Amino acid sequence: MTTTHAGRWAGRTRRAIQAAVGALATVTLAAACAAGGPASSGGGTGEPHDGGDITFLIDSLGDTWIPNNSSISSFQGHIWGHVADKLVYVDEVGEVSPWIAESWEQDDDATEFTLHLKNGVTFSDGSPLDADAVVKNLDTWAFGAPDAGISPIGLFPKTYDHAEAVDDTTVKVHFDAPTLGFVPTLGYHGSILISPKALALPAEEQADLSNDIGSGPFVVESWKEGDSVVLKKRADYDWGPEAVGHTGPAYLDTITYKLVAESSTRTGAVRSGQADVAYNATPQELDSFKDQGFVVAVPRYLGFVNGYRLNTRVAPFDDALVRQAFQHGIDRDEILSTVYTDDWSPAESLIQSNVPEATDHSDSFAYDPELAASLLDDAGWTEGADGVRTKDGKKLELTLYPNPYLATSKAIDELVAQQLGELGFDVDIQAYDVVTFGERVSDNTSLSNYEVTRSFIDVGTVASILTDAENGEDWFGLGESDPRTNKLRDAVAQATDLDERAKSVDELQEHLLDQAYFAPVTQIVQRIYVQNPELHDVTYNGVAYASYYTAWLED
Amino acid sequence: MNASYLRYAGRRLVQAVVVVLLAYVFTFVVISVLPGDPVTNTLRNPENGFTEEEIARIVSYYGLDQPIAVQLWQSLSHFLVGDLGVSLRSNLPVTRLVAEVVPSTLALAASALAVALVLAFAIAYGTQNLPRRYGQGVLRAFPSLFLSVPAFVVGLLLIQVFAFQLGLFSVIEPDSAWATFFAAVALGIPVSAQVAEVLITGLDHESRQEYAAVARSRGLGQARLFAKHLLKPSSLPVVTVVALTVGELLGGALIIETIFGRTGIGSLVQRSVSTQDLPVLQAVVSLAAVVFVVVNLLADLVYPLLDPRVRTEPASASGKAGLGEAPEQPILERQVSVP
Repeated sequence: MTTTHAGRWAGRTRRAIQAAVGALATVTLAAACAAGGPASSGGGTGEPHDGGDITFLIDSLGDTWIPNNSSISSFQGHIWGHVADKLVYVDEVGEVSPWIAESWEQDDDATEFTLHLKNGVTFSDGSPLDADAVVKNLDTWAFGAPDAGISPIGLFPKTYDHAEAVDDTTVKVHFDAPTLGFVPTLGYHGSILISPKALALPAEEQADLSNDIGSGPFVVESWKEGDSVVLKKRADYDWGPEAVGHTGPAYLDTITYKLVAESSTRTGAVRSGQADVAYNATPQELDSFKDQGFVVAVPRYLGFVNGYRLNTRVAPFDDALVRQAFQHGIDRDEILSTVYTDDWSPAESLIQSNVPEATDHSDSFAYDPELAASLLDDAGWTEGADGVRTKDGKKLELTLYPNPYLATSKAIDELVAQQLGELGFDVDIQAYDVVTFGERVSDNTSLSNYEVTRSFIDVGTVASILTDAENGEDWFGLGESDPRTNKLRDAVAQATDLDERAKSVDELQEHLLDQAYFAPVTQIVQRIYVQNPELHDVTYNGVAYASYYTAWLED
Repeated sequence: MNASYLRYAGRRLVQAVVVVLLAYVFTFVVISVLPGDPVTNTLRNPENGFTEEEIARIVSYYGLDQPIAVQLWQSLSHFLVGDLGVSLRSNLPVTRLVAEVVPSTLALAASALAVALVLAFAIAYGTQNLPRRYGQGVLRAFPSLFLSVPAFVVGLLLIQVFAFQLGLFSVIEPDSAWATFFAAVALGIPVSAQVAEVLITGLDHESRQEYAAVARSRGLGQARLFAKHLLKPSSLPVVTVVALTVGELLGGALIIETIFGRTGIGSLVQRSVSTQDLPVLQAVVSLAAVVFVVVNLLADLVYPLLDPRVRTEPASASGKAGLGEAPEQPILERQVSVP
C-alpha cells in the first residue's frame, strides 16, 4: 500500500514541478518573442560544401548504449543513425532501397533470402563489413545474449532460423515460416550493423559508446554519460544509401548531441543562435518559430496512428454498438485545431497514411454525434437526468489512460472526455508517469481501452501484434472469437507476395474499423525538430529520424 | 584536549559509518519496495515485443529475480569492499558514473556557497552601515524575498537574460566560467538568505553590547567597528548554518543542474530516480551522507577556533571531574545565541 502511495506521490510532485516549469517557460518564451527573434533567416541558399559543426539539443540520451538494448530508443536512435549503417534504407513513405546490401532476392515462399553486399565496406576499426560480419549481426539481433544481459532487438522476426555466409559478399538467411517483412525490418532503427569485435565484448564494455564501432558516416569522438555525444565525420566513408542523393563522406565536420532536459532552454538556445537543432519542441511553439524564419520539421513515422484500441472483453466495449458510438463520437477536427497545428493530419485508418499499404477508411469512423447517439439508443443505453446514460442500472462509464510517451496525450483525452460526455458517456481520466503506466496500464487486460502510439517499419508485423498468434499482444481481446480477423491476420503474416499482402491489409483495416475495435484519432508526429534555417538538406527516414549525412551549413 | 579530541573524533567516525550504512540500507529498501525495476521496465516496453522467457533470462542476469534480502546482502557485501556495482540503467560501472559528475557539482556547490557568503555578508554589512532611512529597511527585506523566490525561477530568468538576450554565456557549454557563475547565483541566492538572516540577527545583538558602545564612544567608525569587533562574534552561528545548507546545496543542485543543462550529481540522481537505478542511487545517497557528516564534523571543529568560550570539555558537573580526572564524555557544545 505504502509503495503505491509513494509512487503516486512522486508522480504527482514531478508533474507539479513540470507544470510549474512549463508555465514559467511559457512566460519567458513570450518575453523572448516580444524581445525579437533571430538576426535573420538567411536569404540565399548557396551550394553544398564541406565543413561546419552543428549542435543538436535533445531532451534525453536514453539509457544504456549496448547496441542491441538501445538501438530502438527514440533518443539514441539519432546517434546510431550516424554511427552505424543498415543493410537497407527505408524512406519516409516506406520505400525500401539498397544500402549496405546492394541487392537481394527471396525464394517463392519467402522463407529464404539472399543478400548481396557492397564491396569494400569497413567498420571504423578497419575490420571488413563482409558476409561474416552480417551473419554475426543477424544472430545478435535475433537472439541477443540474454544470459550476458543483452536482449534481442524488438520486432525482429521471430521466424528467423539462421544465416550463413556464402562468400565474402553473399549472405543466405533462412526462416521457418514466410517472412515478407524481413527486408524492410533491416531498415528499422534496431537493425544497426556493429563490428563483430564490439559485439563480442561483455555488456559492461558494450555500454561504453566508444567501444561500439559502426561503419557509418560519423564516428564517436567523445561522449559523457547523460551529457553529450560528439560525432566527427569519417573521411573515407563512401557507401551511403543511394536514395538520399549524396555520395562520399558527410559535409559537416562534427555533430554535437547535447542533453538539455528543459524544453524552453532547448528552443531558446536555437532562437538565440547558440544551437542548430532543438528536438521535441511543443506543438504550441511551432508557429512562432516559423514566423521568425526557423525551419520546423514534423516528419511522420511509419506505424500506427494515435488512437484507442478497445477491449472487446470489457464493458462497455463488449458491445459493438458502443464501440462504434465511441468511434463516431470523437471530433478529430476539434482535437487537431486545439492541441496541434496545421502540421498534423487526421487519421485515415488505424495505420499512418505514409505506410505503403495504408488505405483511406476515414468514412467508417467519421465524427457523427447524431449517429453515435442513435447507436447508443439502439444498444439500450438511455440518458438519465444528469446526462449520463444508463442500462440495467449501470452507468456508461469508462476511464482513459493518457499515454505518457506522447506529450499531447492528456490534452487529447480531456477533449475526448468532453466530446463523449455530451453523448452520455461518463469519462474519467487517469494519468500516470511512465513507470506507473507500465505497471498498471501496459499489460493490463482488464482495462477497456489503451491509447496507442507505436511505430513499425513493415506492415507484416502488424498482424502478429493485433491478435494472440505467435505471442501476439491480442490488442482487442479477441482470442479466437472473430474468425475473420484471424483469417486476415494469417493472410497478411503468411503472404509471399507484396501485392497480395496489400490487398489483405486493406481488408484487415476495413474489418477492424467496421467492427470498431480501434478508434483512430490523429496521425502521429512523435519527433519534432526546430532548426536553424542555415542548415540545409536534412533527410528524414521511415522512422522520422533526422540524418545529417546529407546536410550542410550555409556560410 | 588532544586525547579527548581523538576519542571524540573516533566516536564521530563510528557514528558516521553507521549513518552511511543506514542510509545505504534505507535507500535499498525504499527503492526495492517500489514496483518495477529499470531492466524489466525497459524490457516490457511493448515496442520490444519480448517473450516472457527472454525477459526472465535477462532479469536473472542482473540478479533481480532474487529475494530482496539476498539482493541487499550481496549489494552490501560488495559495498563494504568498495565495489559500487554496475548501473542497471546504463550498464556502466557506478564508480565511473559518480566520478564523472562529482567535479561539476563540486564546482557548482562551491561557487554557490561563495556567492551565498558574499551576498550575505554584503547585505549584513549594509544593514549596519547604510543610512538607516534609505538602505537598511530595503536590505532587511532581501532575505525573505530571496527565500520566497524559487531557485528555478531565478535560474530560468538568468538564462533568458544573460544567455539568450545578452549572450554572456552559452547553454551549450554549461561548465564554462560564466555559466557556472550564473548557475551558482541561482543556487546561492536562497542559501544567502539564511546566512544573512542569522548574520543580521547576530550583528544587531552584538552592536547593542556594551563593548560596542565603548568602542563607539572612543570614536571608532561604524565600518571599523563592524570589521574589527562585530563581525567575528556574529559569524559563529553562520558556521552552523553553512554546514546545514550543504544539504540544500546538494538538493538545489538537482533543479539548477537540470535547468542549466549541467551534468552533475543532481542530474545523475534525477535520471536514476526516474529509472529506479538502485546501485547508482545507493552510491549517491552514501556519498551525500558522507559529505553531510564530514561537513558537520568540520563545523564542530572550527567552532572553538572562532570563539574560545566554546567548551570542548564538559562542565565539571560530576564529582569525578572534581577529583582531577579527565572527563569521560567530552562534548563540543555550540552556543548558538539567538537573542
